[in-house]
Amino acid sequence: MHQTNSKLRFRTKSVLTGWSFVLLAVILIFVFYFYPMLQALILSFQTGTGSNLTFTGFDNYSRLLSDKTFIVSVKNTFIYLLVQVPLMIILALFISVLLNDSKLRFKGFFRTAIFLPCVTSLVAYSVVFKYLFSGNGLVNTMLLKLHLVSAPIEWITDPFWAKITIILAITWRWTGYNMIFYLSALQNIDHSIYEAAKIDGASSSRQFFGITVPLLKPIILFTSITSTIGTLQLFDEVMNITKGGPGNATQTISQYIYNLSFKYAADFGYAATVSYSIVIMIALLSVIQFKVAGDKNG
Amino acid sequence: MKKGFALVLICLLLLTACSSNSGSKNTSNSAADTGKTENTAATEPAQAKEITIWAWDPAFNIAALEVAKAEYAKTNPDVKINIVEYAQADIIQKLNTGLNSGTTKGLPNIVLIEDYRSQSFLQSYKDSFYDLSSSIKGADFADYKSGPTSLDGKQYGVPFDSGVTGLYVRTDYLEQAGYKLADLQDIDWKQYIEIGKAVKEKTGKALITLDPNDLGLIRVMIQSAGEWYLKEDGKTPNLAGNAPLKEAFEIYKELTESNVAKVHADWSQFVAALNSGDVASVPTGNWITPSITAEASQSGKWGIAPLPKLTANKSVHASNLGGSSWYVMNVDGKETAADFMAKTFGSNVEMYQKLLTDIGVIGTFKAAAGGEAYSQANEFFSGQKIVSDFAAWTEQIPSVNYGINTYAIEDILIVEMQNYLNGKDIDSVLSDAQAQAESQIK
Repeated sequence: MHQTNSKLRFRTKSVLTGWSFVLLAVILIFVFYFYPMLQALILSFQTGTGSNLTFTGFDNYSRLLSDKTFIVSVKNTFIYLLVQVPLMIILALFISVLLNDSKLRFKGFFRTAIFLPCVTSLVAYSVVFKYLFSGNGLVNTMLLKLHLVSAPIEWITDPFWAKITIILAITWRWTGYNMIFYLSALQNIDHSIYEAAKIDGASSSRQFFGITVPLLKPIILFTSITSTIGTLQLFDEVMNITKGGPGNATQTISQYIYNLSFKYAADFGYAATVSYSIVIMIALLSVIQFKVAGDKNG
Repeated sequence: MKKGFALVLICLLLLTACSSNSGSKNTSNSAADTGKTENTAATEPAQAKEITIWAWDPAFNIAALEVAKAEYAKTNPDVKINIVEYAQADIIQKLNTGLNSGTTKGLPNIVLIEDYRSQSFLQSYKDSFYDLSSSIKGADFADYKSGPTSLDGKQYGVPFDSGVTGLYVRTDYLEQAGYKLADLQDIDWKQYIEIGKAVKEKTGKALITLDPNDLGLIRVMIQSAGEWYLKEDGKTPNLAGNAPLKEAFEIYKELTESNVAKVHADWSQFVAALNSGDVASVPTGNWITPSITAEASQSGKWGIAPLPKLTANKSVHASNLGGSSWYVMNVDGKETAADFMAKTFGSNVEMYQKLLTDIGVIGTFKAAAGGEAYSQANEFFSGQKIVSDFAAWTEQIPSVNYGINTYAIEDILIVEMQNYLNGKDIDSVLSDAQAQAESQIK
């Protein structure tokens, strides 16, 4: 009797200790994450400028579907997503495999060089890109001097090239970041697997697709989900390089939220609705990615 | 021992977290309380006070505030004035978030707001701005400023700088093409383009530089004809069937198609195009003067003509681009802030002379235009009396209601402008824009 009692006391005590450790984090998360999220959800059912907000039910959500600017922003965001994320992931994978080669010299230098873009501020690098790609910027001057083009390319003022510029910029900024994940995962793959494959006569491309890719699958899934989320929230680059232009050819959903809140007469209710549309999209895309690539690893 | 220490730490953290929360409540309550006592104390003589002012542009608005601060200190040495510089976009964000949060803590006493945006703030946050009707008279300022700065017959803003436009031209390029500044005194935009073609042919220089993301030129053109993106009520979109807007679009297209326009993507490229001598003219607000005179080597090569006008309409040779006004927030210290505004920007003619000679601010205070500084010749512009020209044009600017949706509509028009330049029919361009604006603006 006495023994079970002390056991029980010990259990409750350890449970309480456990909770007291997480309690702080839980409270902070509730106060700073869930409470604002709930407020934003309530806000998304209201319309009006500034503080004159009134409840209008699902009006905002039906307005989304007929809002041309919103649809264009979604379209642009998905173009970035479909072109840039695969491009970046393949590039990061490729570079990390190259850098993982045991015979490579100056490994540290190359790793740092490729990772370095990630430590630059988003705004700073965007401004640099804007100047590099401006009408008489370095890129155009170089192309002209090399006689690769006959007239300067309108990197920022042409709807097509502006998208290319944005994609180039994000790829430059984030490839190194994803590469680090792949590198660390590659270092966890046992060398003996590759040796065994070599003895069996597998070519290096066979090794890459047969060993490296399957073993990196969870990391590929992770990076593609974080990159997808990152792209859906794309803001700084577009805001600073093209301001969403020309017209709204490069405008993203996040930038539209900013415009609704701060550029136009402030309509925070509708802006909250647009942000919830991003939440829904991210959730859907993540589920799809888990289903496609995840299997049991996910 | 260790556990106990951890517990103490956690409790401390939680306590501080909670207390900071209740703390902010307390302060907001006390702010409200002092607000109440303020009202009762308003009849008593002003006590030692401190007011905060937000504005952007250190070379212009902030510099003007410094002058006003020095002037006010002569009569009211007990008032402490804090001038805070933020970028305009930051001010808009801070105001919007501050006013929405429901607490007036952290908001300034006086804030500078661009005229195109002022109505959206005045109407969106009705009780957050202080009625200045008893401190200043709207009629003392240029007529076109009354629309943006007042609401429901009450004067909320102190009109500040004039955005009056002129056509800045390179007289040396003009002469090479066979024209003189005198030939540009009464032209319309079509003639302007013809001159541009001649300039391009003779000098190889572009006539104008345009930003595809900024329809400032369109705004200038339609205001010169007394029209705006919105009808007079400031709410109904006025795009389809707006004759001046249609003509402005056609001129814009002609500018881009007749090969006389360059393209820029931001402010620094814009100024670079002027300073490098790449463009022969720029139709814009008078606030560009410091940027043009900054290139000292071009002294004597610039002149300022009246703005070209639209053909078919009641358009005049004067319009406005940009410009802003001061607003007093309805927070603790509003009486002091209103007094500061009334004694400086609201009445002080001498101060306006100083603002003009020291900083180059052309105000919209009518009485100031009679002062000496306004009739001085400018050496850079070959002795032209540019300020008295601008002051005369300021009086002719047609007054329009900017409403609350200028920028929302402009973003729709920017897209439709691209469609128009790519060959879409002008009438369907404007009616599509109208339909979009109607669905978007509620």
